[in-house]
Amino acid sequence: MYGGDEVSAIVIDLGSHTCKAGYAGEDAPKAVFPSVVGCIDQMDADDDKENNDSETNNRNADSNKLKGKRKLYVGSQALGFRRDHMEVVSPLKDGVVVDWDIVDNIWDHAFKDCLLIDPKEHPMLLAEPSSNTQQQREKTAELMFEKYKVPALFLAKNAVLTSFASGRATSVVIDSGGGSTTVAPVHDGYVLQKAVSSSPIGGEFLTDCLMKSLERKGIVIKPRYSFKRKEIQPGVFQTVDVDLPLTTESYKLYSQRVIASDIKECVCRAPDAPYDESSYSNIPMTPYELPDGQTIEIGADRFKIPDILFNPSLAQTIPGVDNSAEISSSARGLPQMVIESINRCDVDIRKELFGSILLAGGTASMQQLKERLEKDLLEESPQAARVKVLASGNATERRFSVWIGGSILASLGSFQQMWFSKSEYEEHGASYIQRKCP
Amino acid sequence: MDAKDILGLPKTPLPIAQEKKSRPHKDSQRKPDGISREVYALTGGVAPLMPSIDVSQLKRRPPSDEKITWQWLPFTSSARKDNLQLYHWVRVVNGVPPTGDYSFAKYNKSVDVIRYTDEEYAKYLTDPKWTKEETDQLFDLCERFDLRFIIIADRFPTPRTVEELKDRYYSASRAILVARAPSPGEVAGHPLVKEPYNVTHEIERKRALSMVLSQTKHQERKDAEVLAEAKRIAESRMAARAAEEPDLPVPSDIGPESAERAVGPGDTISPSNVQVHAAAAAPSTSVIADNSSTLASLRMLKVYLRTYALEQMVQAASSSAGLRTIKRVEQTLQDLGINLKPKVPTKAVCAEHLELRKEILTLLNLQKQLQYKEAEGSSFRDGSYGDMPGTAKRSQRAVDQDRTFVPDTISFGVIPGDRGVKREQKRKGPGRASETPSSPAGAHKRPRKMKASDL
Repeated sequence: MYGGDEVSAIVIDLGSHTCKAGYAGEDAPKAVFPSVVGCIDQMDADDDKENNDSETNNRNADSNKLKGKRKLYVGSQALGFRRDHMEVVSPLKDGVVVDWDIVDNIWDHAFKDCLLIDPKEHPMLLAEPSSNTQQQREKTAELMFEKYKVPALFLAKNAVLTSFASGRATSVVIDSGGGSTTVAPVHDGYVLQKAVSSSPIGGEFLTDCLMKSLERKGIVIKPRYSFKRKEIQPGVFQTVDVDLPLTTESYKLYSQRVIASDIKECVCRAPDAPYDESSYSNIPMTPYELPDGQTIEIGADRFKIPDILFNPSLAQTIPGVDNSAEISSSARGLPQMVIESINRCDVDIRKELFGSILLAGGTASMQQLKERLEKDLLEESPQAARVKVLASGNATERRFSVWIGGSILASLGSFQQMWFSKSEYEEHGASYIQRKCP
Repeated sequence: MDAKDILGLPKTPLPIAQEKKSRPHKDSQRKPDGISREVYALTGGVAPLMPSIDVSQLKRRPPSDEKITWQWLPFTSSARKDNLQLYHWVRVVNGVPPTGDYSFAKYNKSVDVIRYTDEEYAKYLTDPKWTKEETDQLFDLCERFDLRFIIIADRFPTPRTVEELKDRYYSASRAILVARAPSPGEVAGHPLVKEPYNVTHEIERKRALSMVLSQTKHQERKDAEVLAEAKRIAESRMAARAAEEPDLPVPSDIGPESAERAVGPGDTISPSNVQVHAAAAAPSTSVIADNSSTLASLRMLKVYLRTYALEQMVQAASSSAGLRTIKRVEQTLQDLGINLKPKVPTKAVCAEHLELRKEILTLLNLQKQLQYKEAEGSSFRDGSYGDMPGTAKRSQRAVDQDRTFVPDTISFGVIPGDRGVKREQKRKGPGRASETPSSPAGAHKRPRKMKASDL
C-alpha cells in the first residue's frame, strides 16, 4: 500500500507576493491571492459593523493602537476594485511578519472565503521562511491555536518543502520569490541554518527596476483604473483618462506594479552571458501592448533586468532605483551565493549538494534562468564536483513548489505522528514548537 | 445495432421458428459478462476463437455477504504520545471498523542514544574541553536528530566542528558502555568498543577532501597546461639524450612528435617505428643496425613488456624473409620442442631465443640455397644442354654456399621445354622443412640462374 493517508490537512504558504492555500494531497493550491491587503483607516467609528478582527485580536500590542479601526480588503477581487483612500499594505517586511493583524485577516479570508472550511476540523501545515525566528514561530502557533482552534499544527521550512516536492532529502534550494532570494541547503530533510544566505533582490525589486527604466524612457504605465476605453468606431478604441484624485499613491504604485510584472514575465529572459551595454545596444525590440492600448518596445531591458539577479550592481545603472547603493553593495550575484552557501557546509556533503540544486519561486520561472545559472556555476565550481541545476519544467510547479511539498508532506502516513497538537500546546506552551518542528 | 446487442435481440429479424435455433448462436455473439462493451469491442467485437480473456477472472465481485462502507473515522497512533485524534477514511466491513494500531506507526524508529546519570558523568566522562552542560545538550540533540551530526553541528549553540562533536559523543558512549558492562568481554563485540572514532584521521581526510573540492575549473585548466608543458620538456630532453649515443641514427625530429604521442600502448609507436626504420640505415645493412633501430624506437616508450620488445626484434630480423620462411622457422622451433614465445621472458632467455631464431633462419636459407644448387646441378647433368662445364658449376656452387643468402631476382635462363616452363619471380620452395636436404630429383619449378658463362 502506498505511503499516503489523507487526514484533510490544509496547507498554507504565505509568501511575500502571493498567498497559496489548499488541501493537502492535491497537486495545486485552490486559493492563490496577493498577500498584500487594501486598508482604509476609518477615521469615524460609526461607519462599520462588519467583523473587524483587528479589534478582537488585542494581543498585538503595537500595531493596533496606531491604526485605530480600519477596514481591510483581502483577496485579488477586493484589491482589484479601486476605492478612495485605500492604502496597500504588506504584512511582511524583509521576510519577517510585522503586522499580525493583516496575517490574521489573510488567513481568515483563505479559510472562510476561498476554501470554505472550518479551521477547527483540519490540521494545518504552514510554510515558513528558512530563517525564521523563534518568536515568530511562537506567535504563529499562538494565533493558530487560540483564535482558530486548529486541532494540530506544523511549521515547515520553505526549503525543506521544495526539496520534498522534488523527491530529495538533500539539496540546495534557491527560492527566488517576490521579496527576496534565499539559498538554503537542506540535508536529510533539515535546513542547515548556518549556511543559509539571503539577498533582498527578488521579483518585486526587478519589477521596480523595470518600471524605473521604462519611465526614464518616457513610457508612462497607466494603471488600469485610471482610464476608460470607448469604442468610437467598430474596432477602434479611444482612451480617456479618468481623474480620481482620492486614489492613494500606494495603490497607484501597486496597480502599476501589476502591469509591470506582467511585462516582466512575458518579455524578460535571462541572458546567456553577463550583460554588457554595448553588445545589447542593437538588439531587436519586442513589442508589448499595455492595457490602455499603447504599444511599447522593449529592447535591452529584456536582458538587463534579469541579469540583476546575477550582477546586482547593474541596478545602480538604472537611475531612480532607490536603495540601490545599499542593496547592491551587500548583495552578491546568485552563483556566488550558491557557492558560498555550499562552502559553508560540511565537506562530506558538498558533492551531493552540488549535484542537486533546485530552483523554486515565481522569479525562477524566468526563461533561460536555469541554463544561465548552470553555466555560471560550472565556471566557478570545483572540478571534482558535478554541477546539476534542476527545475521542474512546468512553470506552475516551480511557482508553487513550496505548497506542493507541503501537500505531499501533510498527506504522508508516517507524517501523522509529527503534528504539534492542541493538547501538546496546552501542556507545554508555545515554545515547545521549537522541539516539535525542527 | 448496439441497442439490439445490449438487449440481446437478434440482429436481423428472423422468423420466430428460427429464433430458438439462432439464439444460442446469437448468445455467443453477445458480449460476455464481466467486461464492458467498449473493451469487448477492442478485441474485435466478436468472441475470439480461443478465448484470451478468461471472463470469470474479470471484475470479480467480492462475496456479496459482506457490506463494505467507507467512513470518516478518528484514529490514534501509538507513535504519538498525546491523544490527538485525526480523522481519515476507513474501510468498514459489516459495520465493524478495523482494529489495531495505525498502520504507519511501525515506521517510527529512532536511535538508542545512551543516557548517563550525573554520577556516571562525574566518574567517567569529565573532559577539560567539554562542560557538563554542553555534553548534555549534545546528547539531547543526538536523540532529537537521530545522530545526524551535520545537522547537530548546525544547531549546536556553541560553534563546534562535526569531528569534535562526533569524538565527544562516541568516546562518551564508549566509556559508559565499558563502565556499565559487568565484564569487558561482553561489550567487546559492540561496534562502539571495537572500532573507536579516530578524530585525527577524520580531520585529515576532510582537509584533503576540501582541497580537492576547492580547485575551480580555472585552476584545473592552468594545472593541466603546466603539466603538458613539463611533459614536453621532459620528452625533448629524453630525445636529446638518445641522440647522443653514437651508433643510433635517431633523427632529431622525433622529439616534438613524441610530445604529442600518448605514452604507453604500442600502436602509436608503430608509425614512429616505420619512420625510424626508414630514416635509419638502408635495408641492406646488417641486422645489427636493425636491432639498434628497434631499440631506439623502444626507448621512446617509457614502459614496455619484454615480450613486446622481443616481438619487435623478431619482426625486424625476419623482415627480410617471406611469410613462408617465417612459418618454416616456427615449424623448426616447434619440432625442436621450443615455445614460439619463451615461457619465462627474462633478458637472457629472450636474447638466446632471438639468436636461435636467427640461426634457424640462416640454416633454412642455406638449405634452400643448397637445394637450388643441387637442383641446378642435377638439371645440368641430366639436361640436353650439356655445354655447361662441370667445374664452373662446381665452383659456382661452392661460391654460392659461401655467400650469405641474398634474395635473387636476377635473369632467368631459357628453360628447356621438358623441364617445366613456369617462370616465377617467387621462389616456391617445398613446404617441408627438415634437417636433411631435400632431394634434388624431380621436376622442381625453380628459377634458374643463368650465368654468362653458360652460354
